[in-house]
Amino acid sequence: MAFRNLRRRPLRTGILVAALSLMVAALVFALSFVTRVNSSIKLTSDRLGADLLIVPTGARGGAEDILVENRATSFYMNKSFVDRIKKIEGIDKVSAQTYLVTLTGLCCSVPSSMVVAFNQETDFIVSPWMKDKLGRKLRKGEAIVGSESAFNINLGLVEMEAKLFGSVFSMVGVLDKTGSGLDTAVFISDENIAEIVKNSDADIKPDQISVIFAKLKKDADPYMVMSEIENNIIELDVVMRKDIGKSLITTLGDISKIFYLTMVLSTILSLFLVWAIFTAIANERTREVGIMRALGAKEKHVVTLFLFEVLVLGAIGSIVGIVAGTSLTLIMAQSFSILKNLPVDLTNFTRTVIAFAGLLFGTGICVLGALSPVQRLKKLEPLLVIKQE
Amino acid sequence: MPQIIVENITKTYLVDTAPIDAVRSVSMRIEKGDFISIVGHSGSGKTTLLSMIGGITRPSSGKILFEGEDIYELASDRVSEYRCEKIGFMFQFASLLPILTVKENLLLPTVFRPRPAGREAAKAEELLHLVGLTEKINVYPAQLSGGQQRRVAIARAFMNDPALVLADEPTGDLDEETEGDMMRFFKTMNESKGVTFIMVTHNTDLAKQTKQHLRMNQGTLQTV
Repeated sequence: MAFRNLRRRPLRTGILVAALSLMVAALVFALSFVTRVNSSIKLTSDRLGADLLIVPTGARGGAEDILVENRATSFYMNKSFVDRIKKIEGIDKVSAQTYLVTLTGLCCSVPSSMVVAFNQETDFIVSPWMKDKLGRKLRKGEAIVGSESAFNINLGLVEMEAKLFGSVFSMVGVLDKTGSGLDTAVFISDENIAEIVKNSDADIKPDQISVIFAKLKKDADPYMVMSEIENNIIELDVVMRKDIGKSLITTLGDISKIFYLTMVLSTILSLFLVWAIFTAIANERTREVGIMRALGAKEKHVVTLFLFEVLVLGAIGSIVGIVAGTSLTLIMAQSFSILKNLPVDLTNFTRTVIAFAGLLFGTGICVLGALSPVQRLKKLEPLLVIKQE
Repeated sequence: MPQIIVENITKTYLVDTAPIDAVRSVSMRIEKGDFISIVGHSGSGKTTLLSMIGGITRPSSGKILFEGEDIYELASDRVSEYRCEKIGFMFQFASLLPILTVKENLLLPTVFRPRPAGREAAKAEELLHLVGLTEKINVYPAQLSGGQQRRVAIARAFMNDPALVLADEPTGDLDEETEGDMMRFFKTMNESKGVTFIMVTHNTDLAKQTKQHLRMNQGTLQTV
């Protein structure tokens, strides 16, 4: 009966389904977007292996661009800061990295990507991911690539030679997937920097580094250490592990607000639409309900009939919305620069949870909107309704 | 014990804040197997009285006992069960649901039964045969004439084997011949199955064919 009732007014049913679909699509897209960004930030932070990230003043966003968004960028400071950081109370270990950006055709035979030069003696960031892969240290003239870069440079296989900044490097392996921005980089030992400076136009001096990673002693307070560094060395900015991605979150804050506002408005609109349409439906069918009640239908029969109709509408609208929202997310992931560069994609489980949330939300709005007209209808006295004829 | 005892019932409606008595202090006793006709002018309270006996509108005062049980003392669901299992309604207008076929309309009251009786489909076909509409079983009400719709509604009233049939101008849309056929059908059900009938009609010839004739006048019930 519910299906036949819905087919009575196809245009009205279509409008309601379309409104619900739009609302659910917006929800699925917003949830997918926010979840993906948050997961990427959390994963990067969890897997970083350092408590503090120390960069030249003003380069904080650049570091996050690399670690969270996989964006190739470079910034430099003097190597001497490493020794100054080491001396600060609470610091256990430090390791420096230097970031270089390759430019296709000009310096290098690989597509534009990040080259990370790191100190193998002090490193605790890259080494854990290459231990099983290489089983030894990188030699001068050797490089190991991030799991994503293997595809980027069409490597796929190891033992290939590529020109980087005028020097030829042997690609000796592919790193395990870290789930962070490091996956798209090419890693070399910092012993190569002098030669890169000599052989290329790279905008770097031999005594420069990009970032210092610091591990704290067990009992050290990260806030104290951070303020100690920033107060004593004004040329540096410090990012705590838990704050990585904060600037991205701030940037996304306004986008998220727009999402949420759109969601709230479309929810109110859908709720109003469902209420208005079901009020009209209830008014149209009062006589039929009166006849059914006179023939012995209980209040629960009336409620069940309308509830089923509402659920069918809600389910159709939600399913269309979930498909549209998921498709939108996938399309946007290709064109939205924020999404394109995020290291983490949504798992099937997360996608299922988001879809389920969309289904629950869509049908929930439908039930909520129809509640008042259905309640009114079930309480009508059959004779009054029948006599309206 | 009478099957139905109507004890001093009154139904008052508020029309523009002024109370109007549609039915005034009506009392009657109906035995099982009675066939009662009620005549009267429009607005005299016939339909309201029938509806109160059928449990579809609550009296403002007074009692209606069906087989000794005050139906308005029952919970809402039990009143629905009373309507479903004991009463067969024929309304004064075409009362079929437009989205259901003739057969589905006939089966509708059986859906609301707390305990299915079985053989519903066969029974629907049998009743349709009795009202002469076998060939229309799978059509929708919109494809039927007013008289045919009325006959389907008559058949539907017998689907749950009611003890009491409340018929509100049941033959209003029918031609003379079909009206006669339907009246014979009612009499057969009354005599062979002991179904009690209360029939509201404007047709005095039809009223004369019943066992007992009553008249409603300005909300009061009088014996003719």
